[in-house]
Amino acid sequence: MQEENIRAISLGEMGENSSGNIAKIEGDSRFISRIISIGLTPGSSFTLLKNDGRSPVLVFCRDTVIAVNRRECSQILARVEK
Amino acid sequence: MAKTIALLGQPNSGKSTLFNNLTGLHQRVGNWPGKTVERAEGFFSYNGVEYKVVDLPGSYGLSANSEEEVVTRNYIHGGEADLVCILVDASQLERSLYMLADFVGIRAPVMLVLNMMDVAEASGKKIDVESIEKKLGVPVLGFSAAETKRYPVFLRTLELAVKFPRFLDSGELQKELEEIGENKVESPLHLLEEALGEIKLGNSEKMWLAVKLLENDKLVRQAVKDNLPFARRNAVETILGNVGDGGIATGEAKYRWIYKIVKESCNEKAPDKVFGKWDRIATHRIKGKIFSFVIMVVALLACMILAFPGMGIGFGLQPLLQSLVEKAGASLGAWPVVVSFVNNVLVGGTCITVCMTSFIFSIIFVFRILEEIGYMARFSYAFDNWLSRLGLHGKAIMPLFSGIGCTAGAVCGTRVLDTRGQRLFALVLLWAIPCGSKVAVVLFLASTFFGSAAPFFAIGYVALIFLSFWLSSILFGKKLIPENERVGMIMELPPYHKPHWKMIAAMVGRSTWGIFKKALKMILMVAAVFWALSYASDGNVENTILYRIGNAIEPVTMFFGMRWELFISYLGGMFSKEASLGIMSTLFNHTGEAFSLVTRVAASDNLGEVLAKTISKPEALAFLFASMFNVPCVLAMGTTYREVGAIKWLATIMGYYIALSLGLGFIGYHIGLLIF
Repeated sequence: MQEENIRAISLGEMGENSSGNIAKIEGDSRFISRIISIGLTPGSSFTLLKNDGRSPVLVFCRDTVIAVNRRECSQILARVEK
Repeated sequence: MAKTIALLGQPNSGKSTLFNNLTGLHQRVGNWPGKTVERAEGFFSYNGVEYKVVDLPGSYGLSANSEEEVVTRNYIHGGEADLVCILVDASQLERSLYMLADFVGIRAPVMLVLNMMDVAEASGKKIDVESIEKKLGVPVLGFSAAETKRYPVFLRTLELAVKFPRFLDSGELQKELEEIGENKVESPLHLLEEALGEIKLGNSEKMWLAVKLLENDKLVRQAVKDNLPFARRNAVETILGNVGDGGIATGEAKYRWIYKIVKESCNEKAPDKVFGKWDRIATHRIKGKIFSFVIMVVALLACMILAFPGMGIGFGLQPLLQSLVEKAGASLGAWPVVVSFVNNVLVGGTCITVCMTSFIFSIIFVFRILEEIGYMARFSYAFDNWLSRLGLHGKAIMPLFSGIGCTAGAVCGTRVLDTRGQRLFALVLLWAIPCGSKVAVVLFLASTFFGSAAPFFAIGYVALIFLSFWLSSILFGKKLIPENERVGMIMELPPYHKPHWKMIAAMVGRSTWGIFKKALKMILMVAAVFWALSYASDGNVENTILYRIGNAIEPVTMFFGMRWELFISYLGGMFSKEASLGIMSTLFNHTGEAFSLVTRVAASDNLGEVLAKTISKPEALAFLFASMFNVPCVLAMGTTYREVGAIKWLATIMGYYIALSLGLGFIGYHIGLLIF
């Protein structure tokens, strides 16, 4: 568990076409409720579709393509699957 | 008495399609009492029973983070609805069932509609509707709101659901929620429920309240504070303090509950093409913007082509009908005043309304199709970076861009924005974006007065528009969209859908018809006032009321560099952009009758020549600037009023642009006096 936590990186740091699962979501309850209602929860696995360094990041999770703004990305930590 | 059906669903769940198809023309739009959120109601009857449909504001869940969500929640808590019809997207079942999970624990009769079954089936997803129904204990229907043939079954199911109300079973979700804080001796959920005692909040069960407390819901917290005795209140605080990240834990529990339902009722088939080549281009940082731009230009061209028949009818019929009326009037020996009224107010007003609404129709239609296809979300994504600097959501790009076609149509498009503040601010910006007619008038004036320098004016105009955005964001943006309410883009990009042309045409046709009726009334009224002010029985301009008023206020209007003829033209521009040219034709060129009225659409051929001769350069500069930022046409103002629902806001935005345009006119005039 410890080791896995160390490897968790923010959504914005992941490479395109890599898969992972959400490790942790940080932020106020307003942000958390928003991000959960759109389908991202700790443990949910996803594929990172797009991360070009500027535009919002695109992830595919629960059958849905979701755009997440860059600033908000830093509040979502993920474990990358090898 | 009518039965009340409340429609509840996330954005993109197809709620508005269902609402429109159920109620057709029998709709009423207003505001929620004491709130600034739009309330849409409609009526229909089935098997002799009257139904009232309340379209609840779209939200992702039932938290209290926006005014829309609070309105939705309070309405459901009030227990007014005989049935809450929850819509979810069958093609993204797991995610969109979140709304249902958030609803569990509210004692209101429910029917679940799995919308977009056609899309789900096309992607190879098989959903066992009966199995879901058994698990939930409420009626569940596989549906596709865009397919007319599915409505008889929908209505039958709805009828039964109202007759035999059933409630969601909360037992299974309760089990999942009890697992929160598994390392604790006793489940925080139990402790909370116990501490809450006999507290009631509308028709919600204690479990629902406990969940919202765990999610740090402001309103429920306040209600608990107000209604619980001190000791219990303290107990609640202690339990919550021990739990920590409650919102995440409840979210996980809700998705576990959803997963159990979905797992046993759906085949596990991952959709094959989730992110194809087109999506890669559409969301590319640079290519995406170019791609969007091309699509938008094509869309605007399509709008023009679509609007063409209506424009042709409106513009073409006007002279035809007017000469007919004149002939008929002459042969019947009717008073000239009657002929003039019929021609200028009734015929002219109706024709111009036809022209304007045909533009609105085409704009709403084309952009509605882009939205239906799913392209709008990509478009929003591509421009989110730019718009977020103004505090706006990427979704605002659609109404802003379509403003280049027609402001009134674009105003209707601001509805895609989720919050009132976003909508109002987008409307403020939108008014600065010139519609096709305004561009034509401004270019005509610029080339008339400044000849070959006109292109510089065009570039300067664009720069001024961006400057006005900056000014608006200082004056309005910060207040309407407070810093702490700005959430960056968290949005789904829906899968591409095949558009249902007929359905969209019918829907857009209906709403255009509604706009047309209202617009006609408004335009006839304004035209009548203008006509009365400018009618002279002997055809002499100097005998009109307008002339007297104009002359009386000229000392004031000259302050802004506008002699009275120009000022009246400026006022005419508030009616329609073409009207300002029409009025100038009469006042400077003395063509037509005493006053060609606001309903006059064409400028006379040599208007440019005459204007260039009569008007000095500084005056021209003043009028040009004032025309650039003049308020939009009467129809755009009318639709704005309909959207904001408050005269105060319409007056504020109007005041802002009148001040801005006259201010610029003033600056232009005085700079002009120095230069020329």
